[in-house]
Amino acid sequence: MSGGTVSRRRRFTVPDRAYRFALAAAAALFAALLVAFVTAMAIQAVPAFSTLGASFLWGTVWDPYHNIFGLLPFIVGTLETTAIALFLAVPIGIGTALALAYLVPNGLRAPLSTTVELLAAVPSVVYGLWGLVVVAPFFAVHVEPTLTSLFGWTGLFAGPNQGVGLLLAGVILFIMVLPTLVAISRDVLAAVPREQVEGAMAVGATRWQVLWRVVVPGARTGLLGAFTLATGRALGETVAVALVIGNSAHLATSLKANAATIPSLIVSSFGEATGTQLNVLFAAALVLLVVGIAVNALGRFFVRSVKRSGAASVAVA
Amino acid sequence: MSVTTLDPPEDPVLARRAAIQLAATSSLRRRKAYSTAGIWVCRAFLLIAVIPLLGVILYVVSKGLPAWNVDFFTQVTKPEGIPNGGIKNAIVGSLIIDGIAVAFSVPFGVVGGLFLAESDGRIAGGVRLMADVLTGVPSITIGIFGYIVWVKNVGSYSGLAGAFAISIVMIPVIMRAAETALRGVPGTLSEAALSLGARKFTIARRVVVPAALPGLITGVLLAVARGAGETAPLLFTAFGNQFLQTNPTKPMETMPHTIYTYSSQPYADLVQIAWGTALLLMLVILVLNVGSRLIAARLGRERG
Amino acid sequence: MSVPPSHPSARPAARNRRRLVVTGVLSAGLLLAACSSNSSSSTTTSAGSSSTTAKANDPYLAADLKAGAAQLTGAGSTFVQPVFTKAFYAYSTLNPAVTVNYQAVGSGAGITAFQGGTVNFGASDVPMSAADIAKVPASYGGVLQVPDTLGGVTLSYNLPGVKTGLKLDASAISGIFLGTIAKWNDPAIASLNPGVSLPDQPITTVHRSDGSGTNYIFTDYLSTVSPAWAAGPGKGKSVTWPAASVGSSGNSGVAASVKSTPYSIGYVELAYALQNNFTFAAVKNAAGVYVLPTLASVAADASHDPNVTSTNFSIVNQPGTASYPIAGYSWALIAMKQPNNTSGKTLVQVLDWMTHTGGGQDQAPSLGYVPLPANIQALARQTLLQATDPSGATLLTK
Repeated sequence: MSGGTVSRRRRFTVPDRAYRFALAAAAALFAALLVAFVTAMAIQAVPAFSTLGASFLWGTVWDPYHNIFGLLPFIVGTLETTAIALFLAVPIGIGTALALAYLVPNGLRAPLSTTVELLAAVPSVVYGLWGLVVVAPFFAVHVEPTLTSLFGWTGLFAGPNQGVGLLLAGVILFIMVLPTLVAISRDVLAAVPREQVEGAMAVGATRWQVLWRVVVPGARTGLLGAFTLATGRALGETVAVALVIGNSAHLATSLKANAATIPSLIVSSFGEATGTQLNVLFAAALVLLVVGIAVNALGRFFVRSVKRSGAASVAVA
Repeated sequence: MSVTTLDPPEDPVLARRAAIQLAATSSLRRRKAYSTAGIWVCRAFLLIAVIPLLGVILYVVSKGLPAWNVDFFTQVTKPEGIPNGGIKNAIVGSLIIDGIAVAFSVPFGVVGGLFLAESDGRIAGGVRLMADVLTGVPSITIGIFGYIVWVKNVGSYSGLAGAFAISIVMIPVIMRAAETALRGVPGTLSEAALSLGARKFTIARRVVVPAALPGLITGVLLAVARGAGETAPLLFTAFGNQFLQTNPTKPMETMPHTIYTYSSQPYADLVQIAWGTALLLMLVILVLNVGSRLIAARLGRERG
Repeated sequence: MSVPPSHPSARPAARNRRRLVVTGVLSAGLLLAACSSNSSSSTTTSAGSSSTTAKANDPYLAADLKAGAAQLTGAGSTFVQPVFTKAFYAYSTLNPAVTVNYQAVGSGAGITAFQGGTVNFGASDVPMSAADIAKVPASYGGVLQVPDTLGGVTLSYNLPGVKTGLKLDASAISGIFLGTIAKWNDPAIASLNPGVSLPDQPITTVHRSDGSGTNYIFTDYLSTVSPAWAAGPGKGKSVTWPAASVGSSGNSGVAASVKSTPYSIGYVELAYALQNNFTFAAVKNAAGVYVLPTLASVAADASHDPNVTSTNFSIVNQPGTASYPIAGYSWALIAMKQPNNTSGKTLVQVLDWMTHTGGGQDQAPSLGYVPLPANIQALARQTLLQATDPSGATLLTK
């Protein structure tokens, strides 16, 4: 690609077929890895099904002493914390990424971006300890009472102000997925072709209209990729959640209640579990895989339907 | 923009034009207001995002910096009660294990990302779903998988088993981030190269990948940051070691493992070492981050 | 509108130069700060005497220190980790040919590793059940379970204005953790503590969310003294707690939760509470005396049950006026028939050294752990004497 005379050196290249084959081989190897993973989990989970039957998957009681292992509270807890995290991360993440890509002065862009990315490097246990020691008391004293007085009528804020619980876990998860989300979204939003941006400005759109109606829709697929990675992190986070969620094996119906997720259950119990409980933990890991597939499929479906309905709205100024 | 009212109202085209002009002027103020509001909301979100992040950094710095002294970097981990402890074995172990993991994961992940970016078929969709699902797997189950597949068959814990587990954490992230970055390259560039007679491999190597390099680097850095900070995959694979070990076929200590072990101890000086290790981990990622972007920029300049 | 960085028209050079300078300044500043601070961060000194000569009247210990070269690995209980690592470190100082790499992965995971043959020995707070023993390889010829550490569980609380020594009895404790006693000034607590002004606040209980030996000891105690508890949550490494009880991960998690939540109470192992100056309760023992948890009171409790075995191992609520009722042992697990002559013999000798006064037990007090009583040390040795090499010869010799 450098200018000047044509080089006489023979350039290394690979026939198309070999190239496609190499790519496919990598993908196949990856698929084989995942299949091996699922198989290994399944082999360890099978004894749980033969001992307890399949009903433990939706059982609501977790009582190890009496050999009762119900996974429903943990499934619900996983979905609840992920929902809270994404509810916060989607608007704030897109807004932050837009700001970083288009709305801050050139000099600030680099340090702010680096700061946000750096937060991906904070180990999970550090987030958990910071959440437990610094944020939980703040929640108990300031945030939870305020939210209860404002929104208590919804019934979502019942219970004592303990600080730890579902809400704190969701907020900590939101902070943890933010760097990944913002970093990838920022790159994707910035990569929207300049012609589209300038074209929109030329027809008299305001800055916001250009961003909201041209840039964001144009980066839609990439944004989905960013959100998928964020969802993955939120679903699978172990140690940080275990430290701040209150770890109660009961279904949580209030945002202030103690709850538990499947990853927090696994990381809490695995070190000490033997026998049937150990097998149940492997089954729980498989259930989480299924939940992950369902959430991903849902997200994909949602974006595809937005794509279909949104195609007409791009023209409106 | 002014509107003349002297146009004869019988001409429907001119009347329509006048109506549009009237609507445009009044809506402009409203749209500008929305625009300013929207932009400031985005900036406010940026602030919301940065504040807790700064809070965490400051907390780690305040708790970890006192642990940094000469012993910290030159001595191996010592039990409670023995003075002059450090984390040399953890630093060396992390470098070796993460180095091996990155050397394996980055090429594998980028090639996988190329596969996903170039195909839209059902198979690619299935692989994409697999990658998405694997990013959501709790890292402790990946560690258990590494134990079952590697440690049990080999018979002992090793740094290589740890690198294997960390790779499984990193690869799906790199794949999806790479795919996103590669898809962001305008199709016109590769079409132009194709029209010049370039093979697919050449297009990938000399057009698409270099154009996507900033996004690729972001993705790799995010994956490395995540992999370098994970403890659970290492618990049952690399196992840990109180002594310095440079042989990857033996158990090795790593920085996240030290953080995990020490932060739960009753002894305040060990807890402080845990925070110091967390701070070091963050600093290393920061240096990697800035350094790799510098290198990428330099490579981009050379290419012209 | 400002130009995004990825567009060709952006200028990376100046921006990256700036970044490099910032990073350089940051790193230099941090390094400068680090070099100017103290060189040693350790504040506790090694109080226990690591004897350079074995006790004169124990011929086994002298032989233990001459064990053959080996690199041993062990995995299991987090409870014993500080004592194990310090004791093995002390051993390696006296006999550099032997190194022991012990990692705390949890008792259950330690048992799994032991069953899988990836470690030389396991460590578990609760002895292996018959089902677990059935899963070890046949070549092991059975499992030997050796008591190696003794610890206590304190009831640590955060009550502004109330010092250490709040008196609690069995029914008060079980009522608090069952949720039937909801406030601090409940008569059940107030009647035990005349003269102490208890606040009219709800009690927040904190429990261990992760399975642990500490859980086992505490719930074992509650099941022994409270029929309501035995019929309800029961005893185990993991049990079900009331919904309002906060579950925290690890001793440090419980400690952090209690410290940052006023009017809370949790249970924390003794070493932890001592090292961090917690306020803890005086518990009424079987003799009716309110006893604070100390190294001595836990040892007193243990000494009242000399007939401990791996199937009959509970020592909670023992008689004796000085006994602290919430205590328990931790156990090392080895194969009865060691596969390898040299490392097998070394393993047995190191464990023998570990479990005796004059050897590893001297390291315990400085860390907040209780040395094994003499009769339990004898039990440990008797158990280890059953270890043989593949041909059947006893490994532990004088």
